[in-house]
Amino acid sequence: MTELVQKEILLNGTQAVAYAAMYADVDVTAAYPIRPYTEVMDTISKLIADGQLDAEFIVAEGEHGQFEIVKHASLTGARTLVGTSGVGWLYGMEAIVVTATDRAPVVAVIGNRALDDPGAYGVEHNDALMVRDVGWLLVWVDTAQEAFDTALIAYRVGEDSRVLMPVGVSMDGGFLTHSEQIVRLPPRELVKDFLPAYNRGKYLVHPDNPISVAPQVNEDWVSEIRRQHDEGMERARTVISEAYESFKKVFGRYPGTTRDIKMFENPFVEPYMTDDAEVILVGMGTVSKPIKVAINKMREQGIKVGMLRIRWFRPFPTQEVMKYLSGAKVVCVVDRDYSLGSPFRGGVVYHEVRSSLYDLDERPKILSFIGGLGGREITVQDAEKVIKIGLEARDTPITRHTYWINVRGDPW
Amino acid sequence: MAHGEDVKYVEITYRGIFQKRLAKYIAEGLVYMAREMGRSAVSFGRYGDSPERNGVPAKYYVALGSLNEEELIGYSTRVEPETVDVIVVLDDTLLKGVESWAWQGVQPINLKLKEGGAMIVTSTRNLEELVKVTPAKEFRWDMGRINVEKSFSGLWAFKDDMTMERVWGAIAKMRPDIVDLEHVRTYVKEHKKDRVNERLSAVEEAYETLVVKSMAPKEGAEFKYSPPRLLTWQEMMEGAAVPAVPRGGRNEQFKRGTTKTERPTVDFDTCIKCKLCWVYCPDECFDETKDGYYDIAYDYCVGCGICADVCPVKNCIVMVNEGRFKDYRRPYEMWKEDKVAYKSWLKQVREGGVKERVVVPGLGR
Ligand code: SF4
Ligand code: SF4
Repeated sequence: MTELVQKEILLNGTQAVAYAAMYADVDVTAAYPIRPYTEVMDTISKLIADGQLDAEFIVAEGEHGQFEIVKHASLTGARTLVGTSGVGWLYGMEAIVVTATDRAPVVAVIGNRALDDPGAYGVEHNDALMVRDVGWLLVWVDTAQEAFDTALIAYRVGEDSRVLMPVGVSMDGGFLTHSEQIVRLPPRELVKDFLPAYNRGKYLVHPDNPISVAPQVNEDWVSEIRRQHDEGMERARTVISEAYESFKKVFGRYPGTTRDIKMFENPFVEPYMTDDAEVILVGMGTVSKPIKVAINKMREQGIKVGMLRIRWFRPFPTQEVMKYLSGAKVVCVVDRDYSLGSPFRGGVVYHEVRSSLYDLDERPKILSFIGGLGGREITVQDAEKVIKIGLEARDTPITRHTYWINVRGDPW
Repeated sequence: MAHGEDVKYVEITYRGIFQKRLAKYIAEGLVYMAREMGRSAVSFGRYGDSPERNGVPAKYYVALGSLNEEELIGYSTRVEPETVDVIVVLDDTLLKGVESWAWQGVQPINLKLKEGGAMIVTSTRNLEELVKVTPAKEFRWDMGRINVEKSFSGLWAFKDDMTMERVWGAIAKMRPDIVDLEHVRTYVKEHKKDRVNERLSAVEEAYETLVVKSMAPKEGAEFKYSPPRLLTWQEMMEGAAVPAVPRGGRNEQFKRGTTKTERPTVDFDTCIKCKLCWVYCPDECFDETKDGYYDIAYDYCVGCGICADVCPVKNCIVMVNEGRFKDYRRPYEMWKEDKVAYKSWLKQVREGGVKERVVVPGLGR
């Protein structure tokens, strides 16, 4: 089926990725239900049933099987889509980790969800962050449009012969997985120009190319395998930049937007009014929405505040974080996750940002804000309060490193 | 001043699973004894896959020295020490070479032995016979033999047949600087209270009857070994991928033949060419010959005995103790060369070399 005109359609975040997978013409999907990712597979099964997509739809017996299916399919040259949420992601972890080690460029939707117990379905980023150290590329999106565009980019980047790595497209459970927004779909014909066929080259598992992947190797090999992987992760930076450039050229707009806006031009991060900002908030995913509104309000009062939204968490945008945050007096990192027992009792992103800034001659003060765990809202008022605390810290010595936003029992 | 050179090492080479506990207990005893003698000592298994695999050569170590224990541990936190003072070989078929870690190739059993070092083998074969298959060294060293059957005192069941006590007695004889007889006795008395007299006589007997031969430089079998050059990360395929061995070929880098304590012998005169051995061999050791027989690549045979089990012709494939063979020559070649000589050779190696095999480990046979 070919569409030659751009069209607009109401989709939620998960549906948007399913549509992207259709446009990318995936060959194999493996499904196992868990909220809030489930609608990806609902949508894709419908697209297959309606004849819009010709792909294998395999229902697995659980997440471990689900990820093994796509890993193997991917090694044989199939373009794959998979996904899960929360503890499902963790249940598949053995297969998920080796998917990266075996360099299978699977694309997975991670509908972020709290890690049970107590059986919460709401967003928390700790699920996806479990793979931050094992060779998955990780990207967070904050709109359905960005989910669609980023999924296409994910195939392009992961399948690049310089990379060959799985990509986790993370989105906030509920706030994005279940919110419908208007998505502009590009002409389907053009997708082919942006997304070349998946070609594993000499890494294709095929009778005509006799290789084996991950036979039992001796422990002595592991250092070299990690070291190689590390180079691939580093090359991914270049490939990501190229992919965003190419996206702009082919579709005539910047990924994640309906227009080409100069301000959004960094693939790795989205700086929002950071140029002269004294206080900069940092976050991933939909938390950017209330934060931006709060910033707009504060700016009206002449307060110099901005935001840096992190898109790509792996590879981590170290240079960008240094560049955009070096002028700030205070950096407030709002984590929708927590790292129990970590230095200064902070969030995961907080630590990565803090570490990135360590080499600066003049380091901004850095505060950690933990909020919205398990799907709790972070409101515009909360964001305003974060800014206020940041402003106070600008003028007074730091007495506290971490603030829990709206947790019952703590002052807020 | 304390230096790494002050550390002495005992290496215990054993067969994975079958002898793991035996090796560990021998090492454990040596640690206690050395400490009683006023030295610090620790033991460590050479970690890897092998200790938990049936019959695969594996190693255990004891480090001892005058350093304090922290320093000793500092020097000994290794996969393997570079050189060793004493090697204990718990199965004489290991003398033919061991391939035990990280595909470093089939190594001579005494690769790491220091000049003047001691190697102790448990074997019922006489020393002259053992010397013929033992790799030569450039320098002088000593080889001792404890006259016992190899002991399968393994991972799942420990058959306490006093091999430990014999090994300790032998070390005391050859290397009293490691442990002396008095301290072996004291240790056994204090730590092994059941059947203590029997144990003490095992120590004494090994001490008294140990046959020792001083090995001259270059004495023994020729053994060519150079460690394979392992690939760098730039050379390896990415993503834990490896090129497959071409059809009909074999991986030169991965010969597992050192795993076997027995090898299959074939009587080609009675073979009915049914192909079952070829089908069943889990290591694909059989090669079909032009005239329909099945030749064996012994380098790759792990001695599992499945071919002997499935061969429908009585006494066509028979498992024979590995110690009876000097080389890895292919049997078909030998048979083709001279059928009469082959038949008499077959008769000779099978005589006395065929034993009831250990099929289920852990039965304490
Ligand atoms: S004993 Fe027989 S079946 Fe087993 S590996 Fe050797 S040749 Fe193959
Ligand atoms: S199983 Fe025995 S009889 Fe059959 S081909 Fe092999 S050696 Fe010959």
